Amino acid sequence: MHISEGVLSAPVLISGAVLTAAGVAVGLKKMDSEKVPLVGVLSSAFFVASLIHVPVGPSAVHLVLNGLLGLLLGWTAFPAILVGLALQALLFQFGGLTTLGINTFNMAMPAVCCYYLFARGIAHKRRGLAIGLAFACGFLAIFLSAILVAFSLIFTGESFLAAAKLLVVAHLPVMFIEGIVSAFCLGFLKKARPEILRVTHASG
Amino acid sequence: MQAVDIGPKPQEAKRVLAMAFALTLVFMALAPSASAHKVNVFAWVEGDTVHVEGYFAGKKKAQDSLVEVFDSSGEKLLDGRTNQQGEFSFKIPKITDLKIVLTASMGHKNDFVIPLSDLEEVSPQTTAESSRLTEAEPYEKKMISPGAALEVNLSQMESLIDKALDRKLIPLSKLIRETRPEGPTFVEVVGGIGYIFGLMGVALYFMSKKKS
Repeated sequence: MHISEGVLSAPVLISGAVLTAAGVAVGLKKMDSEKVPLVGVLSSAFFVASLIHVPVGPSAVHLVLNGLLGLLLGWTAFPAILVGLALQALLFQFGGLTTLGINTFNMAMPAVCCYYLFARGIAHKRRGLAIGLAFACGFLAIFLSAILVAFSLIFTGESFLAAAKLLVVAHLPVMFIEGIVSAFCLGFLKKARPEILRVTHASG
Repeated sequence: MQAVDIGPKPQEAKRVLAMAFALTLVFMALAPSASAHKVNVFAWVEGDTVHVEGYFAGKKKAQDSLVEVFDSSGEKLLDGRTNQQGEFSFKIPKITDLKIVLTASMGHKNDFVIPLSDLEEVSPQTTAESSRLTEAEPYEKKMISPGAALEVNLSQMESLIDKALDRKLIPLSKLIRETRPEGPTFVEVVGGIGYIFGLMGVALYFMSKKKS
C-alpha cells in the first residue's frame, strides 16, 4: 500500500498532502489528553503491523490495521497513521517522505469512513453482532484503501480498473486477516477493557 | 508543578495505557516473520553483461516488472521486463554510470546505480589500451617470459585471467546478493516505537500545561 517516491506526479502528491493536513488538523482537534495514550499505542501498532508479511497471493503484502485504528480512534487515526508512516519511511524506507501525504490519506480516510459506519454498531449489546461488524470494518478498510491507491495511480498511466483489480486481489488475504484481527481485538476489548471503547466514543 | 495529569480518571487512563502497551508487545512478538513492503533492485556486472534482480523483501521476486536503464545524463539507454525469476540481463550499452530503475506494480519503484568505475574494468577499450602500454615496455615483457620458448600473447592472457576471475567471483557475488540486508532490523523497530512513545509524552506535556 505504500506508494514509492518518484511514481506519482506533483499535483497528485500535493492534493494528497493537503487532504492529509486537513485530516490531521481535525484529528488533533479531537484528541484530548485522555485519548493520547491510545493514539500513541495504536500508532505503534500500525508502525509495526507493516512488518507482518502475508505470504499469500501474487505480491508482497502486509497488515495495515487501519480498520482497527479507525474503529478505536475515529479522526485521530489521521495523526496516528501519519506518525506511523513517517517513521516507516525514515527507518524502513517504506514509501517515502514526498508520498507521505497521499499514503496517509489512502490509509486514514478509509479508517475514518469505517468509524462512521461501524463505531455505533460495535457498541451494540449483542456480542456476536458487534464482533461481526468489527470483522466487516477490518475487511472494508483495506478494500477502500486498495481502491484509493488504485485511484492515485490513475495519472501514472496504469489504468484504474487494472490497478484496482490487482490491488484488491493482492490484498484479499489481508482483508480476511485484518477482519479477523479487528474482530478478535474488539471481542477482547469488549470483555476485558470496555473503558477503551468508552474513551473512543466520548470524542470521536 | 505536579506530575502530568492524564485526564479526569487517571486510574482508568493508566489501565488503558497498560492494555495498549500489551497489545504492542503482541505485535512485536509477531514481527520476527518480518518482511518489508517495498521493491528492491540489485544489479551486478559479470563480464560484459549486467544482471538486474528485482525482489520484494521476503525474497519474493518482482516478476514482469519494467526495468529501465539510464545513463548519467538521464538519457534512457534501454528497457525490458523481468522474467519469472525477477531477473533481467543486458549487455553493457555504454561506459557510464548506469542508473537502473525498476517499476513494479501497485506503485512500487526503486533504483540502483552501477558506478562508472565498475564498468571501466570490463571495458574492451581500456583492456586494449592497457595491453598496448604493457607491450611498449620491453623490460616488463622480459620479466614475464625470461628466456622461455613460449611466447605469451599478453592480451590473450589478460582475457584468460578475466574469464578465470569472473568464474571465481561468481560465488562471491552470489554471497553478496544473498546476504544483503533484508527488511528492518530489531533496533529500527524498537527505535520507531520509542519515537512514538516520546511524541506521546510531548503531547501529554503540552496538554497538561494548557490545562493548568
